[in-house]
Amino acid sequence: MNGYGPALETLARRLADTPPDFLDEPRIGNAGRMAVAAVVNDLLRLHGARAPLAALRPFEGANARADRNRLALAAIVAWLLADEWFVAAGLQQAALLHTLADLPAQLAPSAPAHAFVGDDERREELLRTVLADLGYRPLGETPEQAADRLAAISALERRRLLEASRAAEARARAIREALAKKVADESADKWTRE
Amino acid sequence: MNALERPCAGDDGLDRERFPTLSDHGRRMLDFMRGHPCAPLYRNRSGNRLLAHEVEAQRAYERSVGATTIGWTPNVAPAWVQDFIEDVFRTVPHYLALGSAPRRLDDVAPVARADFAADIAAFVPDHVPLERMINFRTTGTTGHPLLLPSHPVVAARYAAFHKRALRRVGIEPAHGRGQVGVVLLGYQRRCFTYVSVSPAMGESGLAKINLHPDDWRDPAHRAPYLDALAPEIVAGDPISFAEYLELPVTRPPRALVSVSMLLLPALRARLERRFGCPVLDIYSLNEVGPVGVFDAALGGHLLLQPRLYVEILDAAGRALAPGEVGEVTVTGGFNFCLPLLRYRTGDFAALAFGPEGPLLTGLSGRRPVRYLARGAWINNIDVTHALQPFPLPHFNVHQQADGAVVLRLAAGALGLAPAASAALERLFGRPVAVELLEADGKTLQYTSALEGAHG
Repeated sequence: MNGYGPALETLARRLADTPPDFLDEPRIGNAGRMAVAAVVNDLLRLHGARAPLAALRPFEGANARADRNRLALAAIVAWLLADEWFVAAGLQQAALLHTLADLPAQLAPSAPAHAFVGDDERREELLRTVLADLGYRPLGETPEQAADRLAAISALERRRLLEASRAAEARARAIREALAKKVADESADKWTRE
Repeated sequence: MNALERPCAGDDGLDRERFPTLSDHGRRMLDFMRGHPCAPLYRNRSGNRLLAHEVEAQRAYERSVGATTIGWTPNVAPAWVQDFIEDVFRTVPHYLALGSAPRRLDDVAPVARADFAADIAAFVPDHVPLERMINFRTTGTTGHPLLLPSHPVVAARYAAFHKRALRRVGIEPAHGRGQVGVVLLGYQRRCFTYVSVSPAMGESGLAKINLHPDDWRDPAHRAPYLDALAPEIVAGDPISFAEYLELPVTRPPRALVSVSMLLLPALRARLERRFGCPVLDIYSLNEVGPVGVFDAALGGHLLLQPRLYVEILDAAGRALAPGEVGEVTVTGGFNFCLPLLRYRTGDFAALAFGPEGPLLTGLSGRRPVRYLARGAWINNIDVTHALQPFPLPHFNVHQQADGAVVLRLAAGALGLAPAASAALERLFGRPVAVELLEADGKTLQYTSALEGAHG
């Protein structure tokens, strides 16, 4: 890790105060209003960097199921990285793009994007992940403390995701079985049948 | 076993599950309907499956639906919709995968039948218990079979919307103990048939019967059996009603309720004359339940569900203004096993607003088709108008890729073929061929293989 970043509490406050514009509906196809590629482009310019068009493509979604939550989270990360501490840190364009594109892709399956703003645990997870990805640690923590805490959160998160995924699969199977049972097929009374 | 024996006579040991609150009165009603000397061959079993507390809840639900006005205005979602969106995004797997709940309904990506068909389990909320889940099997008009999740409480709730519709024409269903409340008519080679009782209405009888002669020991039993049941309400579709018209029944119901298909005005008028009672034409889908009831004076289908918000969407998913025709898309509903969030029904109409609330005008099952007639495009509504004088229960008008026009009629309606085809010939300015329509159930009325027919 390069060194200290800001205090977690400072960044947590910034996240909690994310303006509504950054929580708006990501533009995917002709739906939504927030053009995340434009948000990312503005951020890069704030950092004195310019992005080639190709680098912005990942921020233009193609379908809601695959992209909506990831893009919503990318906009939140962009708001975070617009903090003056990050702007003053002299971050490289490649590093910024990595944090903006890869972290949301990695974290989006675990929770709704806005939970990373409103929920204490998710907020800490996002902040530690962003700082570590850029090579920093929270102010006041040793490299070991920061790495341990991030690992603990990540392990917990992986376990939670795995359990949730197993539960979802079991539930879907149970629904299909319940629907296919003879008794379900036998139905119940309606006044009319379509 | 002889085909004339009734395979579903008596209790098979599972009636306790089908009728958890069954009393001796209800048992007698079931025995009466099954055991009548003229009874048809009941091929299946069903029941209300309602627990005692659910019977009470059903009565309260009916009162609530009856007393609630539908007051939303064009393209302004009612207040409950935002809470509903948040609830669905919190509990339904398909939406959990999409992330945070949108703050506006028009930010929700619409879904269609194909999404249900691909993975129906993803649309069932996580908290819904599965022990008493039932299914409604639907093939729609696209032919893809689909099992829709439902629940006995949901099935029972249909009555609340039918009663709301009946009340508008001055009919307050009053059947109770010892009477038959509702008979559902089918007319198909294969038909799901059963007897049941309605515990929220004194265990009055409910029977689903098939008028097809194959389901009777003697087809002449049909009229005396219906007279013996003397149901207060008869529900069916235009095909079964066309058969019902021909039966010498002497005890007409207080109302007829038609669902599933386009009910042409001439058939409706014949039914009203023959039975001397109102005929309700209800737009209903398995996915949504009863949506609206047709009222000629209002000029459309008046919406029936207080907790159903309807939008009309274009192909790109944009909500259209009142009066513009697009796809009927619904949010809300009463099936807690399948909450609907911008569900595209596959049916087309425009929204209008009358003194009694929102209504659908120009409703057409499936995407409108335009036909080439005398060198110009005409709307399928024009075909409906041309066929209006004829009591056709079931038909299809098809334009071939070379422009030739075919009128397909069910066997029972072939007698009307000369007049109906002549009306179409006047409209199209060319000869119209007549063919036999060989299909059970729901049929697409308007089809075309001509390029440009779908706009």
